Amino acid sequence: MRRRWVILTVAAGLPLVAGFNIPSLPLPAPPLPSQAQKAAEVVTKTGTKAVQAARPLSEEEEYYLGRAVAARLLARYPLYQNPEATLYVNQVGLAVARKSSRPAPYRGYRFAVLDTLEPNAFACPGGLILVTRGLVRLCGTEDELAAVLAHEVAHVVRRDGITSISQARWSEVLTTAGTETARQYAGGVGGALVNLFEAAVEDVFRTLVVNGYSRPAEEAADREAILMLTRAGYQPGALAQVLGKMSGGSGGIFRTHPPTSERLARVKSLAPPAAPAGEKEKVRLQRFQKMKF
Amino acid sequence: MPRPVPQRAQLPWSLVAGMMVLLLGAAPALPESLTVTLSNQQLYSQPSFTSPAVSPVPQGAPVTLLRREGDWVQVDYQGKQGWLHKAAVAGGGPAVSLPALLGGGPVRQTRHDEVALAGKGFTPEVEAGFRQKNPGLNYAQVEAVERIQVDPAALQAFLREGGLN
Repeated sequence: MRRRWVILTVAAGLPLVAGFNIPSLPLPAPPLPSQAQKAAEVVTKTGTKAVQAARPLSEEEEYYLGRAVAARLLARYPLYQNPEATLYVNQVGLAVARKSSRPAPYRGYRFAVLDTLEPNAFACPGGLILVTRGLVRLCGTEDELAAVLAHEVAHVVRRDGITSISQARWSEVLTTAGTETARQYAGGVGGALVNLFEAAVEDVFRTLVVNGYSRPAEEAADREAILMLTRAGYQPGALAQVLGKMSGGSGGIFRTHPPTSERLARVKSLAPPAAPAGEKEKVRLQRFQKMKF
Repeated sequence: MPRPVPQRAQLPWSLVAGMMVLLLGAAPALPESLTVTLSNQQLYSQPSFTSPAVSPVPQGAPVTLLRREGDWVQVDYQGKQGWLHKAAVAGGGPAVSLPALLGGGPVRQTRHDEVALAGKGFTPEVEAGFRQKNPGLNYAQVEAVERIQVDPAALQAFLREGGLN
């Protein structure tokens, strides 16, 4: 009789625990009061570690990686000191980013112009997007600038930068974060996590600056950019236009986002370039031309 | 000849029952409260970024869920009602540390803020260590970029002028 009651109680409890992660541990004997706190700490630690092992990078972690990558890039290229042009690039960037499938990352999107004539653009994880004066100059219209920025936003949306961090490295981060050593570590230099962070920053930096994204990642970012442009009210054909201008170059963006002929053909088939039409497009062109890059 | 009692019957069932009671006690049945997890957020009058902003809402602010519609949630923040994109909020219910409560029982699927308490991967402290180790990096410029603010009203005017959505 007693057993039946217990079984019913367990069955009634099942829907409640459906969302919980129950380790198949034998039930421990109640610890002595003096040991209770310690035992709870141990279980909290091991339990959290088990859950963490499967979790992806959080939005905050992605943000801190992005800041570090940006800090490396900004040590190499200074910011273009033109507040009016910077605000303009942010407005164009936000016009497309708010139409993306990730409109509000952890600290939001920010766009900045790098003071170099080498055409390039970098999507730092978390939403910091850096574009060079050289690339903005290559764009002849606001719609083309929007296309470039939409493509970079798409890499943030898709988290393409952080996929270069190997699963092995990330597992090591989580294991280290779960240890007592990491818990005791508080801001000092030389922690194991600092070394892992440094290595992860290097992984992302190499993708953004040296190796470029994979071809499937570039294709998907083009598609996402075309959707963003369309939703925002820009000419989606502007992406093909600006890609067409890039062909034939070498180094910089030509290496990190190679505008191959197949890529250009695919983008053209999705959104063919169109001649400027309508009053509003003229307004956009005029305000682009008013800016000095 | 008496049959041997199965080993299962030896389990401390009273402890299992006790755990279930604790779980029932821990399950919240409260009006749903959400937390704003992103900075620079606005309450919008409609479920759309193009609608007029009602009020800014700070990161970490608790808001009461009124209803959900697609990617948007309608919330009440200090008597002001408006819409937030679902990406800007998290949560529902108080965070109860079940492992500590049960002292060895089931572990709940960890929510993000609980991971924060238990030790995260890349934290501001890790960043501080990284910065000390790499003094040549230009965090000052990163922070200058992060200070760029686009006024929501100015963005609306910019979109309208350019015939954008």
